[in-house]
Amino acid sequence: MRTNSLSPVQKVLLTGLIVIAVAWVLFPFYWAFVNSIKKPADTFRSVWIPWVQFQPTLDHWRQELDTPEIRRALRNSTVISVGAATLSVALGTLAAYALARFRFNRPDNSFFTTWFLSQRVMPPVVVVIPFFLIMRQVRLLDSVWALVLLNATFLLPFPVIILSQMFRELPIELEEASLVDGASRLQAFFRVALPLVVPGLVATWIICMAFSWNEFLFALSLTSNKAIPMPVIIAGAEHTRGVQFWFVGVRTMLTMLPPTIFALLAQRYIIRGLTLGAVKG
Amino acid sequence: MSAQLDSPPPAAIEPVTPRVRKDRTGAWFLAPAVVWIILFTIFPLLFALYNSFYSFRFGQRNQFVGLDNFGRLFTDPNLRNGLQVTLWFVLVTVTVEMLVGFGLALLLNREMQGKNILRAIMVLPLFATPVAMGYLGITIFFETNGPINDTIRALGGQGIPWLSSPKWAPVSMMILEVWQWTPFVFLVSLAGLQGLPQDVYEAAEVDGASGRQLFRSITMPLMAPTLWLILLLRMIEAFKVFDIPTSLTSGGPGRATEVYSLFTYRTALRFFDHGYAAAQGFLLLFIVMFIVTILYGRISELYE
Repeated sequence: MRTNSLSPVQKVLLTGLIVIAVAWVLFPFYWAFVNSIKKPADTFRSVWIPWVQFQPTLDHWRQELDTPEIRRALRNSTVISVGAATLSVALGTLAAYALARFRFNRPDNSFFTTWFLSQRVMPPVVVVIPFFLIMRQVRLLDSVWALVLLNATFLLPFPVIILSQMFRELPIELEEASLVDGASRLQAFFRVALPLVVPGLVATWIICMAFSWNEFLFALSLTSNKAIPMPVIIAGAEHTRGVQFWFVGVRTMLTMLPPTIFALLAQRYIIRGLTLGAVKG
Repeated sequence: MSAQLDSPPPAAIEPVTPRVRKDRTGAWFLAPAVVWIILFTIFPLLFALYNSFYSFRFGQRNQFVGLDNFGRLFTDPNLRNGLQVTLWFVLVTVTVEMLVGFGLALLLNREMQGKNILRAIMVLPLFATPVAMGYLGITIFFETNGPINDTIRALGGQGIPWLSSPKWAPVSMMILEVWQWTPFVFLVSLAGLQGLPQDVYEAAEVDGASGRQLFRSITMPLMAPTLWLILLLRMIEAFKVFDIPTSLTSGGPGRATEVYSLFTYRTALRFFDHGYAAAQGFLLLFIVMFIVTILYGRISELYE
């Protein structure tokens, strides 16, 4: 961190820059929010400050939350993201521990790591067709469980990479001591190592939830009615509703709020997560 | 460098950990995830490969056509369009994100108040549902009374046909992508900058190096691996683009924003031409793998 002092002019310029950057980042959120509480007539006027420039209303929020399709979509999105995140973190934690604490030969540890990472390289559109055909065959089309399975697959690299780093950072002596005391490998894992990575584990789980909440391509391809989650609802919305700014506002907020709140909760681990462990923020 | 390649890599490069004796338990920890990936990635990939040798009618496998589906890749003008749109998208968005994100990180890499709040704000776009951003974009870029055109008109300009013109629609989708991912470049470069060793700077400053010299001969070389890594990650993700153009413009007007993934999606699930769609998928996979291999080679060189 450079601490060389700035001239007053530089200080002002820098502050201005920060203000612009923050305004640019926050504008869409505010735009969605402000439209969601405007009466339809007010959405056609450039007014920005509730109570001062216009009288806000919660009618659209109420209407949307009373719509059965929206409630179902919110429920589906919740099941999909909790299910997929839990499944991938469970599978991923075990694999992460294996990569951190055991040495494999032919193929070796770094092969497995690369292999898990390569999952992120593959464009999902490559496998969406086979998934569609397979799910049709096993009658899992339009089922939230199909999406739980697929999202878990594509999330798997995150828990594997992030948690194997965390296990490596733990002093191995603790586990060795418990092994000497007669604990089995499994006990050493569950009673000693696992409790120590709980903060990272929870953060990874939250990040995974946010990712699968946002997932769109698989959801669009594999749902048609009862399993439709929020992102698919929103993608088809302008055709049924026309462009009604107030509904766009509410639906955007309903879709974006959960993952952005998750992201804030897991903030400390976001950089690590998004760079797949290469950079620690 | 070549001398290093001849001998086996020194032990220090190996993963630091495994001090525990070898036993079979490790395989049991690893097996579930490995089986899972084989089942849900390798198997579907092989299935896609199998399908790519067949023609489909009404979504049903029809007859073996050999490499015909791959041959069609080279003559299909719509596929070329999808490829072009995607390549421009990747080129423009990743360049802008890298320049602005890293530039901002350089400027803000200093002691200041409110750093944590700034970081929290910058995290928000990364997890704003992309498909919802595209949907919201319909109103932001709304041509008659959207906020952008309203502002332009208030300043005396003319409204821009953000979504109805084939020239501007790609720009609109790129703006949304840049909005979403520049903060990522910013946050990761900032983390990288703050991890640089301070004593090197101090030593150079004592020796009377200028700010520009510090940047050229310390910051850039030390940051290079991180920057290449960010570039790699952003390119991989940008090639997959699907959500924003789908909800913002549905690929239109015409095919102006019909990115590769959207075109393949339509081939498969609107026209049910699964064989051809599989071939398209493999072409995209090949392109991305090609780029990853080149960049990855560069990165591992730098990390050594």
